[in-house]
Amino acid sequence: MAILECKGLSKRFGSVQALDNVNLTIEPGRVVGLLGPNGSGKTTLLKLCNGLLTPSAGEILIAGAKPGPETKAVVSYLPDKPYLADWMNVGQLMDFFADFYGDFDRERALDMLAHLNINEQQSIKQMSKGTREKVQLILVMSRKAGLYLLDEPIGGVDPATRDYILDTIIRNYNPAAAVVISTHLIADVEQVLDEVVFIRNGQIMLQSPVDAIREDKGMSVDQYFREVFKC
Amino acid sequence: MLGKLLKHEFRATGRTMLPVLGVLTALVVLANLVVRFGDQIISRYRLAAVLFALIVAAAVFGVIAAEVMAIVVMVQRFYKNLLGDEGYLMHTLPVSVHGLIWSKLIVSLVWIFATNLVIFLLGTLSVVNLGDLSVGQIMTGFPSAEEIREAMAKLGITRMDLWLLILEAILIVLCSGLITCLHFYAAMSLGHMFTQNKILMSIVFFVGINFLFSAMGGILGTVSIQFNADRFFMESSTVLDGLRQLRMMMNSMLGYSLVQGLILYIATALGLQKGLNLA
Repeated sequence: MAILECKGLSKRFGSVQALDNVNLTIEPGRVVGLLGPNGSGKTTLLKLCNGLLTPSAGEILIAGAKPGPETKAVVSYLPDKPYLADWMNVGQLMDFFADFYGDFDRERALDMLAHLNINEQQSIKQMSKGTREKVQLILVMSRKAGLYLLDEPIGGVDPATRDYILDTIIRNYNPAAAVVISTHLIADVEQVLDEVVFIRNGQIMLQSPVDAIREDKGMSVDQYFREVFKC
Repeated sequence: MLGKLLKHEFRATGRTMLPVLGVLTALVVLANLVVRFGDQIISRYRLAAVLFALIVAAAVFGVIAAEVMAIVVMVQRFYKNLLGDEGYLMHTLPVSVHGLIWSKLIVSLVWIFATNLVIFLLGTLSVVNLGDLSVGQIMTGFPSAEEIREAMAKLGITRMDLWLLILEAILIVLCSGLITCLHFYAAMSLGHMFTQNKILMSIVFFVGINFLFSAMGGILGTVSIQFNADRFFMESSTVLDGLRQLRMMMNSMLGYSLVQGLILYIATALGLQKGLNLA
């Protein structure tokens, strides 16, 4: 069964059509890049999958069920903005995640925190923007979820940390789970992707395995993206 | 999950409300001491009068500020935690919207009642002159349980009547607290269904709901009094008749409050469930 399925999904904000009749299926065990220029609808699609927006039309199914408390227990979502209460310290945030998510692995989180030299007692408000993003990603990736939806996970961190994060994503995700990474930093994520979805103006333009692009087009995903989305 | 939500909600709001209640207690106790013993000090140090006046003024201001703070925390917590950036976490927890609303509602009610209880207890302490009375003497001012039972028997009031009256009074106070919170929640929840001008729309809904309920209350009150004029305006010949009239009015108020609360709760839940539009 597909872990994520969108059928005829549309979202309109006033006169702006953010998503238009999106049909998409993500199978378990795949690392999928959701790629598109700014304003193409990537964030809107991920928010809809998390029930943070209400679709104007169409349907979303997570492991066969409509978004609700049951599906939220299997989805680990990283938004593209700071969303943690800034008065909390890392230890309190781990308690919070452990309380609500049965699949939260504290040991894994502590290991990643140690690798990135982040103090458990430090509060979010004392951290730099990059460190906050690292903490968010650590919390999200410390869950043994069925579907990871990561919106711009490497946007605000330095290249060395970027490599560590991508390595962390690949090392830590459950092989039976799917990971959807929304980004426009294609060259950086290309190495970890099994599949890509190109999105433009709210419409899916392409869903293809990475190997197929390399073989059929004779170019990397980054090169192909630049060709398709040439201004 | 409600228990876990309540735990984290108390932790988040307690950071503000516990210091507020602590400062309020300190100010009122200080003001109380100044009122009781200030004269002796002022007779020796006249400038102390200015300091004491400031302490009493600060205590009065503290009472008002604590009441306002309880409401501000209730509104801010709902807005920031469910409709702001923190909503990205709260709405992706494996809990229902009802759990989220009830956790906010229960914790807000606790702080509002705790604030009022502290003010009431400290106010009572201020008016009782402990220097002249012992605890035993204060208690002798109240009738004993036996005296209350005898008086009730004479008036034909049963124990059940008394308990129902107390229960109804508690329910009315609880309902009024719930409605205050839900009025803000519903307005914010509906206002944030819009993609633009969310705060402005929340204010519009707040005023609109207020107008609607005032109109509904007025119409229902007039109609019910017209249809029950004989019962509402009957001459209260006995205490029991008066008690029955009082309970009838309280029940009407309670019923109307429950209807208001239900409408506001449904509006809040629908706004969060069907119209969530996190920016």
